[in-house]
Amino acid sequence: MLNLIRNEWMKLWHKKATWIMAGLIVLILIGVSGITKWADSNMQQPGNQPSWEQSLAESKAIYTTQLADPNIDEDTKKQMEEEIAIIDYRLDENQAPATGDSRAQHILDSHVLLSMAILFAVIAAGSIVSAEFSQGTIKMLLSRPVKRWKILTSKYITSLLYALALTILALLATILAGYMFYDSGSMTILDYQNGSVVEVSYWGRVFALYSLQFVGIVIYTTFAFMIGSVFRSSSLAIGLSIFLLFVGPNIVFFLSRYEIAKYIIFAHTDLTMFITGQMFIPGITWPFSVAIISVYMLIFLVISYLSFIKRDVKA
Amino acid sequence: MEQQPIVELKQLSKTIGKKKIIDNLNLSLFPGQITGFLGPNGAGKTTTIRMMAGLMKPTSGEVVVEGQTLNEHFEETMSKVGVIVENPEMYKYMSGWKNLVHFARMNKTITTERIKEVVDQVGMQNRIHEKVSTYSLGMRQRLGLAQALLHRPKFLILDEPTNGLDPAGIREFRTYLRKIAAEDGVSVFVSSHLLSEIELMCDRIAVIQNGQLIDIREMNQKEEAHYYIEAQPVDQTREFLVSQGFILETSGAGYITKVEQEKIPAIIQSMVAENLQVFAVQPFRKTLEDQFLEMTGGGQIAESHKK
Repeated sequence: MLNLIRNEWMKLWHKKATWIMAGLIVLILIGVSGITKWADSNMQQPGNQPSWEQSLAESKAIYTTQLADPNIDEDTKKQMEEEIAIIDYRLDENQAPATGDSRAQHILDSHVLLSMAILFAVIAAGSIVSAEFSQGTIKMLLSRPVKRWKILTSKYITSLLYALALTILALLATILAGYMFYDSGSMTILDYQNGSVVEVSYWGRVFALYSLQFVGIVIYTTFAFMIGSVFRSSSLAIGLSIFLLFVGPNIVFFLSRYEIAKYIIFAHTDLTMFITGQMFIPGITWPFSVAIISVYMLIFLVISYLSFIKRDVKA
Repeated sequence: MEQQPIVELKQLSKTIGKKKIIDNLNLSLFPGQITGFLGPNGAGKTTTIRMMAGLMKPTSGEVVVEGQTLNEHFEETMSKVGVIVENPEMYKYMSGWKNLVHFARMNKTITTERIKEVVDQVGMQNRIHEKVSTYSLGMRQRLGLAQALLHRPKFLILDEPTNGLDPAGIREFRTYLRKIAAEDGVSVFVSSHLLSEIELMCDRIAVIQNGQLIDIREMNQKEEAHYYIEAQPVDQTREFLVSQGFILETSGAGYITKVEQEKIPAIIQSMVAENLQVFAVQPFRKTLEDQFLEMTGGGQIAESHKK
């Protein structure tokens, strides 16, 4: 199996597109950081900036008035109470929050830009099987003393490894851009756990956000891999996956009033909601998300394996 | 044949949709023997070869390699089989060497030395590290042969192997196949449209039509002696020969007839005595092409493919 993965890895990196995608992700991430910094520095800052203590006090006042509203639901109420607790902690402990133009905040926010990595991971995964068919090399690949499920597994693992490589590359590019364009900022992350405010490790938080985003990447990669191996068409696989990447969350949004929305995979592709608290659909829990994702992934993989193993290779 | 067959096709059938592409095919292939596989377009050659190469699954029946069925013992059986299916498509964006390394990794126990050895055997040592996209068709064929030989297969399946080789290349290829068949006891199964090629290369031919095996014959079979006789005047020649009890078949300006070699001098003498002007008396051998067309009824496209 290790040899098969080495083969796939070798083939992947002998394609120009692979290098171009890896290079683009670095260029674009650094470019976006640079442009953001430039745009920010051109904005005229009003002279009398409120101190962070003042703005936090303002936010607290807003939350408090909102809390007074009897119509808000339980989840929102809880979230606001947590926010207030964190603000109180900052004011008491004299812990300034990271400003938007600090390196710390920039790296923390950058996990959102991982949709770039999704795009490229999907391109690689969608073509890793179909390319063998379009090149005609599938005949050479399958007339070997290796069972087909092993070949497909090596391709799937390679797709995931490439997605992982892109994610790590994106993180490194972001950190690099952070050092190029930004000054450091407060690296204290406050979180509300078990009824009290605690400080959590900065890099731990970055790692958590990236890991959760990576789960989303894995879902899209698996989907593209399935379409690519069932229909043997890389364009269909890539097109459909990217279409769903943009449209999927909207579908969930439109259906969010209904119970069914919870069972759509796109309600679970962005797991960072559990950290940021920006829940797509209220009332989703960790175990529920994990269950839904597992079921979908299982279905995707079963379909991929069945169609690949049963297929007669013609022409 | 006393030997145990290396490969046996047992009641192999393949139905795609409602069409029966291969119908109850039985064939045994023996070590050291080169078997040609002939048939008109659409007769089922490629389908048969793909089932033997593990690319298609038979609807019923089985492919047996040294007593093990391909379906149940895929890895064991395939490690004894080398395959070139049609044009050997390689990874064009990699060098020939890396392509071989790639395929070598899919077998157990192929060393770098073995890869080098095979590269030398097919005469590609000078350009093996260049990208396959720069290779000519002939070089790709050589690379295709190299990848099929890497694991020293006992059974070699070749689908249209000389496609794209120049005459020198074809001859070299033929000599090489003969050599591995004779020296290593490899059983070779070759499908080709080039009948003259098959004739020169094979010990035996199997002919398929409409998915059924219609004939298997040994190439070194003693053929009945036929002679071509041409003499003037034509009418008298025919009368004379018929009177001698020969059954004639017109062929161009002369006749073909079945006659034993020993009788030829006597016939010529008597024809001269009859004042016939003898232009030619020569052995006539039906080419494989003639035999093939005879067997397949003109080699039309298989009926099952007519809509």
